[in-house]
Amino acid sequence: MTRLPRLLWLNVERQFLTWSGAWWFVFALAAGQLVPPLVGLAVWHAVLPDSSRVTSYYLAVLFVAATTASYENHTFAQRIYKGTIADDLLRPQPAVLGPLGENLAIRAWIGLTAVPVVVLVAATTTVSFPPGALAAALPAWLGAGLLRFLFTWCLALTAFWTERVHAITAFATTVLYLLGGTAVPVDLLPRPWAELAPYLPFYAMLGLPADIATAGAGPVRGLLVQAGWLLATGALAVVLWRRGLRRHTAVGG
Amino acid sequence: MTSPGIDVRDLSMVYRVPVREAGVRAAIRSLWQRRTREVTALDGIGFQVGAGEAVGLIGPNGAGKTSLMKIMAGILRPTGGSVRVLGREPFDRHPDHLRRIALVRGSQPLGGAPELTVMDSLQYQGLVYDVAAGQLRRNLAELVDLLDLGGLLERQVRALSLGERMRAGLAMALVYRPAVLFLDEPTIGLDVSAAVQTRRFLRRYVAQTGATMILTSHYMADVAELCPRVVLINHGAQVYDGSLPELTAHVGRDRLVEVVLADDAEPPAGAHALGDGRYQLSVARDQVPDTVGRLLADTRVLDLGIKEAPLDVLMDEIYRRTGTRAR
Repeated sequence: MTRLPRLLWLNVERQFLTWSGAWWFVFALAAGQLVPPLVGLAVWHAVLPDSSRVTSYYLAVLFVAATTASYENHTFAQRIYKGTIADDLLRPQPAVLGPLGENLAIRAWIGLTAVPVVVLVAATTTVSFPPGALAAALPAWLGAGLLRFLFTWCLALTAFWTERVHAITAFATTVLYLLGGTAVPVDLLPRPWAELAPYLPFYAMLGLPADIATAGAGPVRGLLVQAGWLLATGALAVVLWRRGLRRHTAVGG
Repeated sequence: MTSPGIDVRDLSMVYRVPVREAGVRAAIRSLWQRRTREVTALDGIGFQVGAGEAVGLIGPNGAGKTSLMKIMAGILRPTGGSVRVLGREPFDRHPDHLRRIALVRGSQPLGGAPELTVMDSLQYQGLVYDVAAGQLRRNLAELVDLLDLGGLLERQVRALSLGERMRAGLAMALVYRPAVLFLDEPTIGLDVSAAVQTRRFLRRYVAQTGATMILTSHYMADVAELCPRVVLINHGAQVYDGSLPELTAHVGRDRLVEVVLADDAEPPAGAHALGDGRYQLSVARDQVPDTVGRLLADTRVLDLGIKEAPLDVLMDEIYRRTGTRAR
């Protein structure tokens, strides 16, 4: 294994062990990811009782939400606030490996916690996923995971300038819930939101993989939009990191 | 001096800090009218440290020691002057450079995951710092022996006492054999035994490996025992660079004459009562024989002792004098 993947794996392993000691907190985080899609499922199943696609869609959203969860506002931003980011800066490895490793470790724990819920929902409702659609959704799911990390990391990086990262992230989470496809599948949103939402980053983070998995949307346009947002948030993350670091090394922790 | 491990020239650090008047009106106005003030943390600092040298950075709180330490470690970028550590600019944080330095903070000796065992953390450190497996085994064996870590290796970091954390933290910092060691208050909060152990270990480590060591500490015992040379900083200015005994000799001209008097004896003029019939007099070094002769002749003295003023008292005097000069 080359050095970077090996270091990333080490960080994941280390954080997985660390989070094993906080399993009640992991349950709370998992509940925070699982409850909104379950509420959406209950509401839209009541509104459209004969639509198996809505049930399948929400089961997919449940899975995507659990496996792409990002909490850099809790993890990385705290390192900036506490000044322990200095330890990361003095390690001979890219500083992003720490937050990325922790992100993947937390997702692994939340994913494990979510398995029984996903199985229960699948067993008690009528769901169907065309195998081809599932395969097509795989890149969108990976892209959603990366986009959600980059998006949250960008918000967390504002901790270099403000002590109110949680307020910013709470607002972003609300918008993600409303326009990402959890509160309402985006094609059922009122106009003009239904036309606008597929071009926003929120849909690319949650609803897109679920829509593709249930054959509710063709993958090409969504993947292109997602790739665009990946480039944009990736570039923004680089700019924020450089400027934030410049500020940090000018004023200290 | 051997080739410079650290070369600091005309270094300055100016922070821009937000300020505003008190009150709600001023707070609201500050939303669109931000005012800042410049605070000079370091001004014109310059010294060279040879490879294998141990230097103490001393000064009162707020003198600029931590800023200077952070600049040399590469966490802060100075606003003026230059710093080179092992021939590189530290704030570039080049991975090859980072593998050759270590920063140990007494307030936080052991960063990282608290759920891991000490051994997990040491092995992780070895991998991050690219220490070859055989070398890592040898370094670990040596550190386990020197720091008496045998009983700690299987314990979780979060369950360690402060003294144990410091021992484990030192092992983490030294397992990759850094050539330059920055120690920021390494014995803070430690009990006497743990502090003595830590100092003993550091002295042996520097002697064995030839590492360069920069130390800041408010405990003068750390500085006196580990650093033949000190750099004194006060109010951001460098006011002394030389040996500690030479520095204290400037103010340590007084001796403390301590006497125990009989119950009916009159205390000498200017004596400071210590209780239980004990009195202390501060006497200029060249006046000690006369003063003691007079005391023995005029007063019923039961016991008498002469000693130097404690190092901490001397340093307080130095800080006050140099503070006035640096301001």
